Amino acid sequence: MNTNLHINNQAELEALIERYFEGETTVLEEQTMRAVLADCPWNSEMIDEARVVMGYFAAHSSQHRRHAAKGSRQRIIGIAATIALVLTVGGYALWHQLDQTDNVCIAYVNGHVVQNDDQVMAMIASDMNMIDHAADGMAEQLSSLGEALEIDN
Amino acid sequence: MKQFIIIILTCMMATSTAMAQKGLNINQLFDGRFKKATGATEIIVTGSKASEIGLDIYHSLSVTDDVQAELVESYVKKDGVKAVDKEVEYRNGQLYYGFYTLKPEKGCKRYIFFLNQNLARKSPKKVVTLIYMEGKASAEKIKKLIRK
Repeated sequence: MNTNLHINNQAELEALIERYFEGETTVLEEQTMRAVLADCPWNSEMIDEARVVMGYFAAHSSQHRRHAAKGSRQRIIGIAATIALVLTVGGYALWHQLDQTDNVCIAYVNGHVVQNDDQVMAMIASDMNMIDHAADGMAEQLSSLGEALEIDN
Repeated sequence: MKQFIIIILTCMMATSTAMAQKGLNINQLFDGRFKKATGATEIIVTGSKASEIGLDIYHSLSVTDDVQAELVESYVKKDGVKAVDKEVEYRNGQLYYGFYTLKPEKGCKRYIFFLNQNLARKSPKKVVTLIYMEGKASAEKIKKLIRK
């Protein structure tokens, strides 16, 4: 822990600010930092950020920041756990779906399950037959239409 | 507790995304509701058995109920609008026969066949059939397969 309460340059101030954001500073160090920030001519992204934070949270104690830092860590762990869980569940669901669609041969007839491959394939053959008949009907119609057009000409 | 609820909701969203539908209206009919329904026949064939008939997926549904038949027809018509090729025949203002070639997805050709046997001139039957086929086979090959 830094016990030197004199800030001699910008680097020392930034090091203190860094420790402040990590909740590792003492009350005395914070008071020193506040005083230096108010008067010093140095400028950097970190120093400006500290000035803003000081302005907003001037009344807060270092203990509060320690709690905030701890809470932040817990939030990060929570988010990481959520992502892991989502990936696991999503991956399982996808795998399950792929597995389901990998090799299926099943029919549901009037609420009854038919799992015999030959029976299911026979049902498909029957469907195909039915389509063929319907398509033949269409072909006949087109043929009749063609003949009618030839007669007209 | 709040965090737990968020986790559960996120998991549910991920699961539903993983089982996302293919973007066709007819997929709403393949949600399992006809698996236990009387007057309905649903056939699902994928994998090695489907490849025996030159397909990756064969999914059909036949219904006898008028309300369900109308629903099937309406979904087929909606998907038919987006078809890249179609052969259709209407009888008495109703769709009798439809063979739709859909836009391929991820290199897979997709076809929808529809038949309302109630409108057949020879021996009509109160059955409406929808068939969804997916695979590498061309429309000509599918038709040859039908005429085997």
